[in-house]
Amino acid sequence: MIHFENVTKVYTTQKHPALEDVSIDVGKGEFVFLVGPSGSGKSTFLRLVLKEEKPNKGRVHVAGKDLARLSNWKVPHLRRRIGCVFQDFRLLPNKNVFENVAFALEVIGKPRRFIRKVVPEVVELVGLEGKADRMPDELSGGEQQRVAIARAFVNRPQILLADEPTGNIDPATSIGIMKVLDRINRTGTTVVMATHDAAIVDSMRKRVIELEEGEVVRDQTRGVYGQAY
Amino acid sequence: MRAQFVLSEIWIGLRRNLTMTVAVITTVAISLALFGGGLLINQQVSQMRQYWDERVTLTIYMCTEISNSTTCEENGPATDKQRQDIQSDLESMDQVKSVEYVSAEQAFKDFQDRFANNQAMIDAVRKGDLPDNFRVQLVDPTKYQAVANEMQGRPGIDTIYDDQQVLEQFFGLLDGLTTAALTVSFVQLAAAALLIGNTVRLAAYNRRKETGIMRLVGASNFYIQLPFLLEGAIAGLIGGIIASGFIVAARFLLLTRIQQWFQFDVTLSTGSLLSVIGVSIILGVLLCTVASFLTLRRYLRV
Ligand SMILES: Nc1ncnc2c1ncn2[C@@H]1O[C@H](COP(=O)(O)OP(=O)(O)O)[C@@H](O)[C@H]1O
Ligand SMILES: [Mg+2]
Repeated sequence: MIHFENVTKVYTTQKHPALEDVSIDVGKGEFVFLVGPSGSGKSTFLRLVLKEEKPNKGRVHVAGKDLARLSNWKVPHLRRRIGCVFQDFRLLPNKNVFENVAFALEVIGKPRRFIRKVVPEVVELVGLEGKADRMPDELSGGEQQRVAIARAFVNRPQILLADEPTGNIDPATSIGIMKVLDRINRTGTTVVMATHDAAIVDSMRKRVIELEEGEVVRDQTRGVYGQAY
Repeated sequence: MRAQFVLSEIWIGLRRNLTMTVAVITTVAISLALFGGGLLINQQVSQMRQYWDERVTLTIYMCTEISNSTTCEENGPATDKQRQDIQSDLESMDQVKSVEYVSAEQAFKDFQDRFANNQAMIDAVRKGDLPDNFRVQLVDPTKYQAVANEMQGRPGIDTIYDDQQVLEQFFGLLDGLTTAALTVSFVQLAAAALLIGNTVRLAAYNRRKETGIMRLVGASNFYIQLPFLLEGAIAGLIGGIIASGFIVAARFLLLTRIQQWFQFDVTLSTGSLLSVIGVSIILGVLLCTVASFLTLRRYLRV
C-alpha cells in the first residue's frame, strides 16, 4: 500500500536530511506506528505519502502509484484515497460536527443525498452520536479529534495517516481515540500513526518503525515504544 | 459540483471581505464608467463624422457692396455673369457632387430659422448683411483645398469657407476627450486589477484553513479556486452594472446636450449604447476573473 525505496528528503533550508535512505513497506490493512523523537522525520514521511513534498532521491509508491510519475492535477485523486488526522484537529470553527465532516465530501462534489446518508454513519462510528449539531468549541479535545477522524474517514480512504493524533489529549481520552483508529483499521484501512506516546504504542502491540535523525533504526512487528532487544 | 455549497462559500467570502469588496466594486465601476464614456464619445464622434461627411459643404461667399476683401474692392460686387460662370465651372469639376445657389434673401431666411430662439443674433444681422453664396458639396470632402484653390481669387468671389474645418476643430476636441477618458480608464483599470489581486490574496489568507482542508481531502484545484474566481467575477459584474448606470446617464445628459447645442441631427442608437454597456461589463468581469486567477496561481498552490 505504501512503498518507500531508498528515499532521501532534504529541505532546501536544511543541511541535514529529514529522511535519509529510507526503505519501508506497509501492506494493505496494516497498522503501523511511526515513532521517534521530535525532528526525526515522522511528519516528513507522511507528507511524502501525500505528495505534499517530493523526495530528492528514491521512489515513493502509494496505492500502486509511483508518485514521481503522478501529474499534479491527479494529486487530488490520490488524496481522496488517503485520510489525514493531525495533532491540532484542524476543524472549521464556524461549522458544526455534521458540517465539518460533510465538508470533506462537499468539496469533492459528492451529492447531497449521499452526504446525508454517510455522515451520520461515520459520526456514530467515531462515537459522537447525538452530538452532530455541536460546534467545535462545545466539544472536548478528544471529541474534536473524533470529528477530525470522522472527516478523514468519511470518504472511506484506503489509507489513514495520523500525525500525533493524541498529542493534545490526556492519556485516558487517548485510549478512546486509539479504539476508534483500531476500529477503522479493522474495516481494512491501512493506518500509519506517528507518535511519541510510549504508553499507547506499548499497549497496542502493533508494528513499530522507529526513526532517528531521518533514518530507520528499527522495524518490528508487534513492537513496543522503547527498544526491546 | 455542488452549486449551493459553492454559492454559500462565495457569499461568506464576499461578506467577510466586505470593505475590500466595496473598494474593488467602486474602483471597477469608476474605471468602467470612464472606459464606457470614452467609447460612447468615440462612437458619437464617428457617427457625427459620417453624418457630416455626407452633408459637409464648401461655402463660396460672393462679393457684395459691403464686402471688404481685396478682390471684392478691385472688382466690385459680383455680377450675374460671374455667378453663372462660377456655377457652370463648379458643376463641370469632377470633385463636385452638387452646387446650390443661395440667394441673399434665402441666406437671411435660413439664418433667422437657425437662430429662431436667439433674438440677440437675429437683431444683430439685418437683411443684406448676408452675402449670397454657393453651397458646394464635394465627392470627397478631404479634397477641399484643390477646389478652393481653383476658385480663390476669381472676380466676384469674396471668401471660401470649409464647414469641415470648423467641424474638425470641434471633433478634435471630442477626440481629445475620448483619448483622455480612455487613458485615465486604463490607468484605473490597472489599479483595479492590482486591488483585486490584493483582495484575493487577503481572501486566500483568511480562508487558508478551509483551503488547507480542501486540499487535504482531495478537492480539485478548480474547486478550491472557483469561489475566489466567482467572487472576482461577481465584483466585476456589480462594478460593470453600476458603470452602466453612469454610461446611460452620460448618454442622456451629456451627449444629448452636445447634440442640442450643435443642432446635430445625430442620435446614438440604442444598439450602440447597449454594445458599449456590454463591452464594459464583459471587460469588468474578465478583468476581475483574470486578476483573481493570476493571483491564485501564486497563492493557492497544490
Ligand atoms: N517545511 C520544512 N522546511 C524545512 N525544514 C523542515 C520542514 N519540515 C521539517 N523540517 C525539518 O526536517 C526535520 C524532520 O522534521 P519532521 O519530519 O517534522 O519531524 P517529526 O515530525 O518527527 O518531528 C527536522 O529537522 C525539521 O526541522
Ligand atoms: Mg511532526
